[in-house]
Amino acid sequence: MNTSMMLASAEIRRGRGRFASVVSALALIVFLVLVLGALADGLFFGATGAVRSTTANAYAFSSDAEGSLVRSRLDISDVAKFAQVPGVASAGPVGVLLTGGEGPEGELDLAVFGISMGAAGTPNTLVSGRIPEPGEVGVALADQQLDQFGVRIGTTVSVGGNSAEIVGIVSDTSYQLQPTIWTSIDTWRAMRDAVRPELSGEATQINAVALTTSADLGDIAAAVDGTNVLTAEATGLAIPGVEQQNATLNSIIYTTLAVSALVVALFFALLVLEKRELFASLKALGTPTSRLGWAVIIQAVVSSVLGVVIGSIVAQLFGLVIPASVPTLFRPETLITIGVFTVIAGFAGALFSLRRIARIDPATAIGGVL
Amino acid sequence: MSEQDATTADMGPDPLIDADQRPTALLQVRDVTKVYGTGHTAVTALQTATMSVEQGEFVALVGPSGSGKTTLISIIGGLLAPTTGSVHIGDIDVTALSRKELTRFRAERVGFVFQSANLVPFLTARENLLYVAGLIGSSKSGARARADQLLEELGLADRAKNLPEQLSGGERQRVAIGRALMNDPDLVLVDEPTAALDTALGRQVVQLLGREVKDRGKTGIMVTHDLRMVEYTDRVFQILDGHLTHVESSTGAGH
Ligand SMILES: Nc1ncnc2c1ncn2[C@@H]1O[C@H](COP(=O)(O)OP(=O)(O)OP(=O)(O)O)[C@@H](O)[C@H]1O
Ligand SMILES: [Mg+2]
Repeated sequence: MNTSMMLASAEIRRGRGRFASVVSALALIVFLVLVLGALADGLFFGATGAVRSTTANAYAFSSDAEGSLVRSRLDISDVAKFAQVPGVASAGPVGVLLTGGEGPEGELDLAVFGISMGAAGTPNTLVSGRIPEPGEVGVALADQQLDQFGVRIGTTVSVGGNSAEIVGIVSDTSYQLQPTIWTSIDTWRAMRDAVRPELSGEATQINAVALTTSADLGDIAAAVDGTNVLTAEATGLAIPGVEQQNATLNSIIYTTLAVSALVVALFFALLVLEKRELFASLKALGTPTSRLGWAVIIQAVVSSVLGVVIGSIVAQLFGLVIPASVPTLFRPETLITIGVFTVIAGFAGALFSLRRIARIDPATAIGGVL
Repeated sequence: MSEQDATTADMGPDPLIDADQRPTALLQVRDVTKVYGTGHTAVTALQTATMSVEQGEFVALVGPSGSGKTTLISIIGGLLAPTTGSVHIGDIDVTALSRKELTRFRAERVGFVFQSANLVPFLTARENLLYVAGLIGSSKSGARARADQLLEELGLADRAKNLPEQLSGGERQRVAIGRALMNDPDLVLVDEPTAALDTALGRQVVQLLGREVKDRGKTGIMVTHDLRMVEYTDRVFQILDGHLTHVESSTGAGH
């Protein structure tokens, strides 16, 4: 191990140029993967916050809705039916309206959620202020993201002439990349009727029912005709585009990581090829194959770690200059995962060289025998 | 057989005849044959070669190209397995060692000087010596002192921190000699050490090698094409077409 370290470190120190090339290739890959990862996280979190950051762990939809909140149509009377199903701790109505609104500084794109405050489906990520009382009218919670448009506690947001005063700020509750406000079902319905007059006859229609439950979801759905029930997580994935985006970006990320293993494998395979004679003579001098293998593995791991460090610094800097309109989210979890995967990929890449090293015949070191 | 040729001369102890009567000889090669390949492509590189070399002796191995010189010292040094026959170094039967044991044997007991110096290009002269000490787990301070002493003796004290690319061909060969002696081996095996050097420098390197081998009580075998180098050795073995014969005592330093 000592001699492996000596070989590995001296070669890196005295051959910085060539290692710089593999480190920069890896840094570039890590940078790309991190930006893609930030985009994937940004899209996922921005699309699904409204169903992740609430007290509900399941949602009930009309069975024709395929788990889509906006397509689903239930009746307010269904809430009581779900509440009576054994194992359901709480049930609350959910109304959704994607619309434009008026904030303190002008026009806003919004997703308005009508809920029963305190029941299942109430946001659980309060940052400041308070959750409105059940039945309190003309008040709302606003997502932190609306801060940039001047929406704060005490200001007013209005939709179709119906205004609501903001009494609390919540975080991570975006829906389909729109910032949200959360208000009572009645206020929500008034807003809906104002912007969608064609729906104004449907005074008892809601979109879905939020549930806090430990019961089997199939049993719950069976208890109320014409409904199906999904976990909150599945509800997030059923939001249009989320699952496809996730799958696409993840496959790009995995492919890119595989490419980094390939880069390391090729680089070290070439390096080993170039050093065949040297390795033969080191073996002739009595170096066990394992020590030469360790030297290559140490170099691959060091190169990958350097690539991860440089790539992630560049990605963080890049994150600072990405326009706010591009939904990106740099999460430490993603950074750690990608970093660990890259180092493992580097390690795996180096393993490809081991067989070649093992096959080098020490007898070729001495003049003449080939 | 070569044994007959050798016995006809009366020139002191004959290593071939006496091989078995000299249990003290450090190196004993007995009836070693090496066949490369099989079937009609088989090449017999070495035919029942027998030799023994005492501790403190520096011998030359000469012969035309393709005669089997490299094959013989590769077998002696544990780099190549003979087809039949045995090689003993001290009380070790080299031919009975496993691959792993051979690796350790080479690190501890054998010092190689290759045709081209084959130094590690990214290690300094001193580090090239320390590297082989690391292979047998020598203490760091002991290894440093020994490396410095060897470099001093080889006239390389002020070159210790240079990389091989910053050294001349002769200096590189001297570093390789230092490396071969670093682990205090029983046996020093040298293949064409002067191939890359001009005559004057070649002489100097071989002279130095002979002196180190003798002063330190090692056993040295040097393969060479260059008959002028023979004068620095004690005895000369010749190989012709795979047949090893003891030629004569050299006129040089040994006797
Ligand atoms: N790996 C091998 N496979 C097949 N034949 C070999 C191999 N190595 C050597 N030989 C053959 O064995 C014979 C002896 O080779 P060896 O290398 O020992 O000669 P040498 O005396 O060292 O020659 P030179 O002075 O040119 O270095 C030659 O005929 C050579 O072609
Ligand atoms: Mg040869």
